[in-house]
Amino acid sequence: MNKALAALIHEQVKGCRTNKAYLLQILRKIQFSCAHIPADAIEQLSAEFKISPPKIMALIEFYHFIHYQPRGHYDIYISDSIIDHMSGKNEITRYLCEKLNVKLNQPREDGLVTVADTSCTGMSDQGPAALVNGLALTRLTPKRIDQIVEKIETNTALKDWPKAWFDVEDNIQSKGVLLNAEMQPGEAVKKALAADPLNSLAEIDKSGLRGCGGAGFKTALKWKSCRLSSDHDRYVVCNADEGEPGTFKDRVLLNSYAEQLIEGMTICAYIIGACKGFIYLRYEYQHLYEQLNEALHKRREANLLGSHILDGELSFDIEIFMGAGSYVCGEESALIESLEGKRAIPRIRPPFPVTRGYLGKPTVVNNVETFCYAALVIDKGADNFSAQGLSGFSGCKILSISGDVEKAGLYEIPLGLPVKNVLNLCGAKSVQAVQVGGPSGTLITPSEFNRIISFDDLNTSGSFMVFNQDRDLLENALNFTHFFMKESCGFCTPCRVGTKLICDLADKVAAGQGARLDLDSIKQLNHVMNKMSHCGLGQRAAEPLLQTLEKFPEYFVKRMTDKDYQPSFNVEESIQRAIDIVVIQDNQKG
Amino acid sequence: MITMAKARKQRKTFTIDDREIPFKEGETVMQAAAKAKIYIPHLCFNPEFTPNGSCKLCTCEINGRKTSSCSTKAEQGMQVKNETHELTMMRRTLVQMLFVEGNHYCPFCERSGNCQLQALAYDLGMTDLHFPRFNAKRNVDASHPDIMIDRNRCIFCELCVRASTEVDKKDIFSIAGRSINKRLVINSKSGDLKDTEMKATDKSAHICPVGCIIIKGEGFKTPIGQRIYDKHSIRDVGNIRPDSFIEEPSQTEVEKPVEQKKKIKVASCSLAGCFGCHMSFLDLDERIIELLEQVELSRSPLNDIKSCAPDCDLGLIEGGVCNTENIEVLRHFRESCRIIIAVGSCAINGGVPSLRNSIDVKACLDESYINGIGVVNPKIPTDKEIPYLLEKVYPIHEVIKVDYFLPGCPPSADAFWKILNDLLDGKEPELPYDLLHFD
Repeated sequence: MNKALAALIHEQVKGCRTNKAYLLQILRKIQFSCAHIPADAIEQLSAEFKISPPKIMALIEFYHFIHYQPRGHYDIYISDSIIDHMSGKNEITRYLCEKLNVKLNQPREDGLVTVADTSCTGMSDQGPAALVNGLALTRLTPKRIDQIVEKIETNTALKDWPKAWFDVEDNIQSKGVLLNAEMQPGEAVKKALAADPLNSLAEIDKSGLRGCGGAGFKTALKWKSCRLSSDHDRYVVCNADEGEPGTFKDRVLLNSYAEQLIEGMTICAYIIGACKGFIYLRYEYQHLYEQLNEALHKRREANLLGSHILDGELSFDIEIFMGAGSYVCGEESALIESLEGKRAIPRIRPPFPVTRGYLGKPTVVNNVETFCYAALVIDKGADNFSAQGLSGFSGCKILSISGDVEKAGLYEIPLGLPVKNVLNLCGAKSVQAVQVGGPSGTLITPSEFNRIISFDDLNTSGSFMVFNQDRDLLENALNFTHFFMKESCGFCTPCRVGTKLICDLADKVAAGQGARLDLDSIKQLNHVMNKMSHCGLGQRAAEPLLQTLEKFPEYFVKRMTDKDYQPSFNVEESIQRAIDIVVIQDNQKG
Repeated sequence: MITMAKARKQRKTFTIDDREIPFKEGETVMQAAAKAKIYIPHLCFNPEFTPNGSCKLCTCEINGRKTSSCSTKAEQGMQVKNETHELTMMRRTLVQMLFVEGNHYCPFCERSGNCQLQALAYDLGMTDLHFPRFNAKRNVDASHPDIMIDRNRCIFCELCVRASTEVDKKDIFSIAGRSINKRLVINSKSGDLKDTEMKATDKSAHICPVGCIIIKGEGFKTPIGQRIYDKHSIRDVGNIRPDSFIEEPSQTEVEKPVEQKKKIKVASCSLAGCFGCHMSFLDLDERIIELLEQVELSRSPLNDIKSCAPDCDLGLIEGGVCNTENIEVLRHFRESCRIIIAVGSCAINGGVPSLRNSIDVKACLDESYINGIGVVNPKIPTDKEIPYLLEKVYPIHEVIKVDYFLPGCPPSADAFWKILNDLLDGKEPELPYDLLHFD
């Protein structure tokens, strides 16, 4: 092994005092420096951490962006969300592969470059998007591809690529109570620390704030449960693993509202009595890492973070953990497993993280947006927040709107707003359908546009994808279905096997081979996956196909055979291939 | 002094299918059920280890919600439903999922008859795979002198993982990969079992509920047909392995066949099979005479008629689909016969012929006709009379719609008798436990 790598590993291992939780972080660094995790690095890590090499390899295999097979020196991933597809993802990918003369997912022979697909990178407002060595590239055009190829072929270091290529816009289109708020750094923390933590908790409770990550659990209740747990070693974790395709609001909050986020986490720490916090930042948001770290640093300087915050009794600090590519980490217990440096398999719940979370200790896990709103509530008061909602709902919600709209981007809307009003806001015309809440959410038809964005009706993590009349909705279902299969952690039977079976059925229908019995199979699988899967991923994985079938049967009908039964594979093609194998050899001989 | 009434009052209980079950604080639904001798289907649960909750077979309806009973703590007044038609159907689907995911060939698996996956399939009345097979291609590890691992049979219950860490304290197994690429790995530098401390006496060598981890040199100690689940339902004896099973004498009575009523046209054929199912059919012996009063044989190897009557009532298909001629025959049967029954393991899951599914068909042909030992005049035959080999061997339900499935390798004459008589009586064919076999 080269000395530099050995030294890097040694230094990293020493830095974390062989704390296994940091193994994933170290693997990321090695991946960046060597374009893979070489066998001798695995061996050295194995010796240092006292973990067998196959276990380290199992960890590597779990995450998309680390590999023990070499990748190209420039490792490019193209975002594969349906919205990227709508903005020309396939053409861009083909063009890039052609220009570079590479096959998808195979490093070029000279080892210079790899091109591969990846799940949504959180740039649906500015796609088609990609990542190069972890850094986001947006609004890709053939012209930009030409420029990128030129840099790659001349082996130009990323730091010498034009900065503008890596620009990520915020695209805030409509501001509400949070995005508009003028908050002085430290103000909310000051207010909280001036009184008993129970006062802050009461204020959060009064505001009616609920988790913005999708589940909508009452924030005050979660924090209170954690505060009441018998173990006093407690943690605050910010879930910045924004993986639901079509959502990107956390990216903007992390970029432009990081102060509020840190403020919210600090207040949470004060309320629950934690002294340590983590921001689990998804791999795809690597571009935000430095500036977030800088924000943390500044707050430490200002005595707003670290020991004895504002010279009071609260000591609390935050560390950023980087993800390595896994959608299932958005599930809080899987995220905690990943924070502990393990494969991100969702835990059996209960016990919930508030009683047994990070390292078995009580832990509050909340979404970026939730912490931001919590800071706002403390700074501006609960009433200011709860007054925002419509038809009996409290507060606002930030939507990431993408697809067939005039202005894609962030829209902070009052909870309780009907979908039709949202569509007016973003300038959507001749809308055929909206996917609210991402692939695991709900597909709605124009007849449902009176439904409202709220925890009781259309609950959403923020993803709001709009599709006009020209879109083929079966393409969406296919894209979503394959997304779930790729992201299944494989832990439980219904999800592991079910996602694959559902994909095969979806492909069969798309290929014009579907029959009525296949539709029965889709329903049967959905029932089993929905009721028996271990976590939300498997529970929702068959929904896109089923919802499309139920609400837009025409996309199935036009492709279906008029039969009850069709073989599981294309028999005619199979026969032809069987003949070809024999005949071709005969022709070669002849 | 505590009166009886008081004691009963203090005793904590919940219900399973309306039966009152006592439990101790901290016990799971599964644990309490086991104590009360109520069987909840499961594969990854074992009372000796921490629950894993991954197989999901133990899912019950608990207070109206479907939840794993191995990881749900019992609570006072909880209402659990275990035996419902819906749950049985869902559990059957789960078992079918496991069957298509791996390569589960009961007829030549050493664990057959002692296999808990198979036993649950019997218990849940599974006769077919329903879904297309995945044709798994995972590594087999035969490196260890005493133990063999066939990963193609792994169902990811993680019992070996837990046994090795919790009891053996050796930490030999882990799980790698994700999604459908998940697999069992060995924690040695080489990844081979021989380079571990594993011994044949380890707990982890004797915990596998299926035929993935097998002790060498013990094959077929008990003949097939005389093993645990050949005679006992898993719901009666539980998830056990032969090492811990003590036989109690039992009597099972073979159901008397019902009188036949009307005459039907039956055709049969063997595709990629061994004709063993047909031989077993002939084991009906003198009952064949009785049967022929009710049945007229159309196309069949038994009478050498080459074509089905166009109005056949019943087609019995033995064997899987391995070549182009098989497809032709199968389609002919489907067109001619009102009801199609897949007969035997090869027709139902590909069986022995589908062992070649992990090998490229070109490589198979090359090995047979070009590179094989003793081949003279090497050439892959191209005569048009010879059927062409398909890339894979398929169970017949992947090529045509199949109405009923008669499993077994071969199905016994009694099983043929039962299913034919059910049909003659106009009933849904159903096999009682003692006639439902995959081996």
